Amino acid sequence: MKKNFFRKVAFGIGPNEIVPENPVSWAQNQVDKVPPLIWNTQIRSGKEMLNHYAEWVYTDREILRKKYKENRQAYKEAKNKLRYKVGQQYFENLEICIRQNTALKSKSPVFERLWFFWCNHFAIIDKDAMPQFTTGPYHRETIRTNMCGSFETLLKEATLGWSMIHNLDNSESIGPHSEWGKNRRKRGKLATVNENHARELLELHTVSPSAGYSQEDVIQLSYIMAGWEHEYTKKRKECNPVRFNSKKHEPGNHKVLGKKYKQRGLSPKNKLIDVLKDLSNHPNTRRFIAFKLCRHFLTDNPTEEMIAPIISAWEKSDGNLPTIHKALLQVVYDHADNQTKFQNPEIWMLQMVHMVGGSWPLQADEMKYNFKIKPNNHQRKPRFFMKEIGYEPYRPIQPNGFSDLESDWISPELLIRRMSAPKEIARRRIALKNFEEMIEKNFDDPDEIRALIDGVKSPSTKMQLIFPSYRMLKT
Amino acid sequence: MINRRAFLIGSITITLLGSPLFSALAEKKKKRNLVVISLRGGMDGLSAVPPIDPKLEKFRPDILVKKTLPLTSDFELHPSLKNFHNAWKENNAAIVHATNIPYTMRSHFEGQDLMESGGHKPFAEYTGWLGRGMETANLDGLAIALPMPLILRSKANLDNYFPTKLSTPSPYIMKKVASTYPEHSNLRSTIQQVMMRPYSMLSGKGSRKAHRLAGTAAKALSKADGPRVAVFDINGFDTHAAQGGSNGEHADKLYNLDKIFGTLQKNLGPTFEDTLIVTLTEFGRKIEQNGGNGTEHGYGTAVLMMGGLVKKAQVYSNWPGLNRKNLFEGQDLNSTTDARSIYCSAMAMAFETDFEKLKRQVFWNDPLIDLQDKLFNV
Repeated sequence: MKKNFFRKVAFGIGPNEIVPENPVSWAQNQVDKVPPLIWNTQIRSGKEMLNHYAEWVYTDREILRKKYKENRQAYKEAKNKLRYKVGQQYFENLEICIRQNTALKSKSPVFERLWFFWCNHFAIIDKDAMPQFTTGPYHRETIRTNMCGSFETLLKEATLGWSMIHNLDNSESIGPHSEWGKNRRKRGKLATVNENHARELLELHTVSPSAGYSQEDVIQLSYIMAGWEHEYTKKRKECNPVRFNSKKHEPGNHKVLGKKYKQRGLSPKNKLIDVLKDLSNHPNTRRFIAFKLCRHFLTDNPTEEMIAPIISAWEKSDGNLPTIHKALLQVVYDHADNQTKFQNPEIWMLQMVHMVGGSWPLQADEMKYNFKIKPNNHQRKPRFFMKEIGYEPYRPIQPNGFSDLESDWISPELLIRRMSAPKEIARRRIALKNFEEMIEKNFDDPDEIRALIDGVKSPSTKMQLIFPSYRMLKT
Repeated sequence: MINRRAFLIGSITITLLGSPLFSALAEKKKKRNLVVISLRGGMDGLSAVPPIDPKLEKFRPDILVKKTLPLTSDFELHPSLKNFHNAWKENNAAIVHATNIPYTMRSHFEGQDLMESGGHKPFAEYTGWLGRGMETANLDGLAIALPMPLILRSKANLDNYFPTKLSTPSPYIMKKVASTYPEHSNLRSTIQQVMMRPYSMLSGKGSRKAHRLAGTAAKALSKADGPRVAVFDINGFDTHAAQGGSNGEHADKLYNLDKIFGTLQKNLGPTFEDTLIVTLTEFGRKIEQNGGNGTEHGYGTAVLMMGGLVKKAQVYSNWPGLNRKNLFEGQDLNSTTDARSIYCSAMAMAFETDFEKLKRQVFWNDPLIDLQDKLFNV
């Protein structure tokens, strides 16, 4: 009965859960509203986290570096104290716990899988102190809260949020004919746009190269985007809210993908808002994202038949995300029997934990931190473990995020880690008493899995055999 | 049969490549090894290899390198680089100065992306120059890294290894798990590679320290049928504060680098003669010291080369000088050699592959210069 569907779109069926009778409506009912994050203590806001980031960079660069310029050892010690005070080694671990605890305990695991997808679609790479302070909050606030509206709104929020503006250097962009541009040139300094954000907006976030845009389109879009920045101040460095600075904006009309965006009076900032609207509704964007959704959830090589219903749902609903997600879930179910998908290390690990009722991640009481000494080994475990299995969720290295292709995840060392990780989870308490039942609930070919653990007594060994096996890796 | 293995440890990456093609040739010809060491953060070439020029003292009164080791009438060497200096005395080390990848925007994230991709635009390429070079030369390889570093990514399939602190799966587990993977599948061939590994690569007790990995890598490289390429990362060259002169943050980082140089040379044994070790960084640093006795992001820097394949002890440079008007944007040592010319030449020499072909297939036929006869002993 397509039991693999529950792993394709969620984290499998846990020890105390019943296999839903109607899988498609079970899944589709999870995507209409944003479920709460699941964590036992108050979760810090993105704004508060940006303050910690600001304190970290300001104190280090403006105070410690100068104060201890003659004394390396004293500098190192002072910097460590600062590290503890602002939670520089703590918050990323905490964010991993919040993310994974929510995924595992959610009443809407399908929504959580989609959340992971969109976080990776609008990826923030490992840059400056972002993984340590702000990428977790960006996933929680910017991506998650906008998943039940239109793609256009999600795109706008992600594009103009502090994380993306800083990650892709849009604050560095200065229109050559802007007020600042002219002044800088008078002083013999360079004044150009930084194309990073414009290029990724087209290539990765919306239309993709299949739209056939040119370098000129990228430059023109950079002109339109110039001026969207975070202010840079001595006291807070880059940690200031995003604003539109018309003094850096390239004035005039600009043409992107064949359409002219006109300078209208005093609010040139709307040029970008208009572009984002058009990019959201561009046929290549629909096709590209439908393809990516199928590639993430269903197969490395989606076919026209798979993506067509998603494109059509997008068109009919004007890019309403829940409608698009529902169409995707139907497609995944329809093709579940004859498509398999290699699961990335994080999703695979969470499926394992969910299916055995494992004690992962650490809970709020264990993550309590005094901000005075180095977080203990226990509290640094989330990052350590994710690093060991090859997937640190806040540290993709390029803006295209983590790969969805099997070939990027199968290597000797990564495969060894799949065989090592189950023992780590088995070391902690697991709720599962009856492996038979777990196998029956989760696998379409239970005999095959049963045979694998035939005669095996220890739950740990059972886990080490089941979870790196073919049916679990490729769902 | 392709020899694939890979290791990944901490912030260090080593890639080792073996080639069936090479094995066949092994009897006739010695294999050549290429080791690339990425110095992340922006390595200060003016501190590693200071020019003998009174202007430098004016720019850097508090971080001037003293007790330097002698090189030429124009350049000296940082005292932390003792192993490198010993190799220099044997004509086994050289420097290319006033060089950099063609990137001038002073961002680590863009710069490190470009030093690995070898491209023109940050984040536009998803493969690395070394990976593409190996693909062009038909080499397979072993990375000592868990996620494959960008510099090695290509269509070529690489093996990887990296010491882990997780427990090692028992042979029983591996065998049973392997039986679930379909024959001829990617998973099956991969797990077979794993099962053929020596226990030392599975025990989970391997050291993740850079110089220890260097020893492991060198031993593998020294074997006639072993891998041909290794890649290391060293972090921490972003010396904004307390950079120091002969002692200090930068001195420590150079000491780490020198330790790797020494370990490689020792463990390569006689195959040091057939090896080229070359450094890579995203940019140099501003010529003027900052308020924290450190330096800010700059442009031109130095590339260090070591091994028997180095032509002779020399500082190869079209030296632009330190006059204000000759500085890049009035503040950095300029770059007069596209560092990619060095890397393309190094691959051509070490992979025994046509320079023009590599230039086309790896570097988009950019106007790079073939420096093989200038820099290498071939």
